[in-house]
Amino acid sequence: MTPDTAPQKEEPVEPNRKDIDPQDEQAAVDPALFEEKPIAPPFERTVLTTPLHLVTSLESRTNRWTDWNGYTVPEVLTGLGDEYRALRGAAALMDVSPLVKYRIAGRDAFAFLQRLVTRDIENLGVHRAVHVILCESRGLVLGDGLLFRLADDDYRLVTEETHLAWLMDSSEGFRVRIEDVSATLGTLSLQGPLSAFVLMQAGVGDVASLAPFAARWVTIAGMPVYLSRTGASGDLGYELWSDAEDAPHVWRWLVECGGPLGLRAAGFALRELARLEAGLPRAGQDYLSAFAAIDAREALPPAAIWASPAIDLDKGLFNGRAVLRRGSDEPPARRVVSLAIEGLEPLRFSTLSLEGRVVGAATSTGFSPALGANIALAVIDAEAAAAGALLAAAERRDGLSVRETLASVRVLAKPARAHARRFAVPAPLRP
Amino acid sequence: MVTGGTKYDAIVIGAGHNGLVAAARLARTHGRVLVLEAGDRLGGAAATSEIVPDYRAPAVAHLLEGFPRRIERELKLARHGLRYAARDVPTVALDRDGDHIALPRNRREYAAFSKRLPKDAEAYRERVALLRAQADLIAPLLGELPPRHDDPGSLKRFLRRAVLRAEWQGRSALRKLMQTLPESIGDRLDAEFESPLLKGVLAFDATLGGGEGPYAPGTSFRAVWREAIRMQGQGVRQPVGGMGALADALAAAVEAQQGEIRLGARAVRILVENDAVAGVELSDGAVLHAPLVVSALNPRVTMLGLLGAARLETEAALELRFAAPAGSTAKINLALESTPVFSGLAPELHGARLVIAPSLHELDEAAAECRDGGFASEPVMEILVPSLADASLAPEGHHILSIIVHNVPFDVEGGWEAKRETFVQKVVRTVDAYAPGTADAMIAGEILTPPDIERKYGLAGGDWHQGDLRLDRLFGFRPSPAFGRYEAPVPGLYLCGAGSHPGGGVTGLPGWLAVEAIGAAKGGER
Repeated sequence: MTPDTAPQKEEPVEPNRKDIDPQDEQAAVDPALFEEKPIAPPFERTVLTTPLHLVTSLESRTNRWTDWNGYTVPEVLTGLGDEYRALRGAAALMDVSPLVKYRIAGRDAFAFLQRLVTRDIENLGVHRAVHVILCESRGLVLGDGLLFRLADDDYRLVTEETHLAWLMDSSEGFRVRIEDVSATLGTLSLQGPLSAFVLMQAGVGDVASLAPFAARWVTIAGMPVYLSRTGASGDLGYELWSDAEDAPHVWRWLVECGGPLGLRAAGFALRELARLEAGLPRAGQDYLSAFAAIDAREALPPAAIWASPAIDLDKGLFNGRAVLRRGSDEPPARRVVSLAIEGLEPLRFSTLSLEGRVVGAATSTGFSPALGANIALAVIDAEAAAAGALLAAAERRDGLSVRETLASVRVLAKPARAHARRFAVPAPLRP
Repeated sequence: MVTGGTKYDAIVIGAGHNGLVAAARLARTHGRVLVLEAGDRLGGAAATSEIVPDYRAPAVAHLLEGFPRRIERELKLARHGLRYAARDVPTVALDRDGDHIALPRNRREYAAFSKRLPKDAEAYRERVALLRAQADLIAPLLGELPPRHDDPGSLKRFLRRAVLRAEWQGRSALRKLMQTLPESIGDRLDAEFESPLLKGVLAFDATLGGGEGPYAPGTSFRAVWREAIRMQGQGVRQPVGGMGALADALAAAVEAQQGEIRLGARAVRILVENDAVAGVELSDGAVLHAPLVVSALNPRVTMLGLLGAARLETEAALELRFAAPAGSTAKINLALESTPVFSGLAPELHGARLVIAPSLHELDEAAAECRDGGFASEPVMEILVPSLADASLAPEGHHILSIIVHNVPFDVEGGWEAKRETFVQKVVRTVDAYAPGTADAMIAGEILTPPDIERKYGLAGGDWHQGDLRLDRLFGFRPSPAFGRYEAPVPGLYLCGAGSHPGGGVTGLPGWLAVEAIGAAKGGER
């Protein structure tokens, strides 16, 4: 057998990458390399679904959906009253994946964040979280959020609205990597007096020892989950951060373990109601980002939005420091306050008036079963808030007719719901 | 890092003329002053450099146009050796056929001018009158601190005086100024004059230093601005010993006040302790302490480079990030072994500013070429033979040609390495057309392209003015709103270079006013 007639070795269908000789012009070329791929423009899709969309749609008995940050989320899954009773009596499980999550890492991540937020995060330990406020140069609020420290130089910032452009602009001069990881994480919020017990039932060891605003890696149904004792319900609660693929399984397992204890899956409306009862303003709803406020009066300083905002004027430079320092002693002209409105019928209303003069507007409203009254968050003139005798223009609907009435309003000194249990250590396993 | 370095009361970074003016003024009131200069010479772009031994040429700038008398007097520069070789240097528009136009400075010259240009003479007189009147309105604003942004009353007072002055000038003055602000110099000149050469030279003066052509909006105001800058000074002058003589006199003024000047000391970092400036770190690691640091460098380099964006609030840093200047001027110095003779030019005018800008059309073409990364085949330029008035610059009988070439891009297509020779050839050929024999008499030369100017003199982008002289980059907006009053948001750090109000040109005013701002801040005035 001459070499010419020797049987050729069978060519592999897919050539091994190592066998490719870049100098060989006659080499077989993988045609897939030259196929035109349609380029997907960024943000082409503006209607998004969360990793939990399938499981929540299976739970839905109402088919009521709403838009949250561009994501389709259930507004109510079964019934708001039902879900509320579960939240306050046992536990409620909600999909909060539309929250915006940034990973901020790198050797200057700490310095970057110190300049970004108003509070001093010097003492923020690993696996801890704090509430942070972002301001711009005039000392007006851009947004607020929770800042987690995942590792020494690795942070996660969770906000209601997007701030990527601002973070990128602020990163000049810092060795820091900023990533929007919103889509890679599924986030579940488990709130209610039995939430710790549900987690124990789901196989999480030593849940009770987790302090408020602390976090820990745990395994739930064999999946790694970052468990933090946070939430916006004014009660004991946890948030579970996991891979997007794992999130539906975590959800199912929690529903399976918690169901017998009274756990109910709930929608966005319940989250809004719980937040309203806890008196927590939401960016874009109760206050506007300073960049989004067209009317200059609608951009508010931190002291106008929170009763005691975390601002440390002595920690070093941060955005807005110069202005905040100058204005630290004068009270803001407008404030975000919690209100209770007379009358039991559910109301929809917008303006608040004092002696015939419009002094503000309600931004979130709802009926609080905890207080047995209609409550609201509103932005009003600071003097009017002190004066009292406020009136709210209310719309009442009887059948098809609409009646406009004025309801008297009082300013709530403390939120409708703020259970001491939320800060209890160890976390109570039984209500 | 070496700690425990020497302590000064103030450190000035950059020994350009603005840095030296600031240092000399600081030294009188603020104690021990140290000037740090990264290069091995004083003066920055206003220096004298040696082309070859015995041939000394003004390195970049070659004439003093707006150096105020009060600075000269208060710093006693005459006592420190500043002499003038020529005062009130005239401007001549060179004509290809030898029929040059000397811009008149007095009645006698105006008679000659109107004989040369009978149709344009009256219009020229009106034009100069209007330019002076308009420059009168803004000239006083150049010599003082710009208004504060956070104080609306300050801006109102600032503008009110300009408006009052305009009303005093007559009803139409304000209207005409409003018309001038956005107008292009080309359109204005086309409407007023006939002679292409006259239009060329007037537009050349209005656009020099910027990248725009004569038909770009806002260039008409630049002519007013330039006139106002000239009003700060005492006419166009040429110092004995080249521009470096000014720097030497300023340095002597600094040293007379026990100030110290250190050459070859490159500042790499501005140190901040407890939210205030603490000193400067040098490239060799040495640390110099001072509670006051004044930087004559480019604002962007100072704030984003030496201080660091991390020490500023996000929005302040953002303002500077995109303010990257790009120069459009090159400098060529030639050493000649004979006296250059410009054909048709009267002997007494050979020491004048000689402008080659044949017409608006050629200026416009040159600007368009420059935008596209090329240079015109017959570049537009300004020529000075400084050695005629100042024999100390060259051996007897030999001369220096100092040429500023307008509309030369920073990034040339094909790269400067490849194009440098072609460029010099084009410039020399153009000069040779006006002064035959120049090319043969050339014995040495140096060329500074915009990248060379950036490298050699530290002017970012090779921009002489450290940022366009545009309406949106003047007064309190220069270099940007957050830094418009010389002070940085960090206490103790100030800017004093051409990047700050009132801008480029050898005026010393940014340095002078920066010290005024320091004094105002110290006195607690707002």
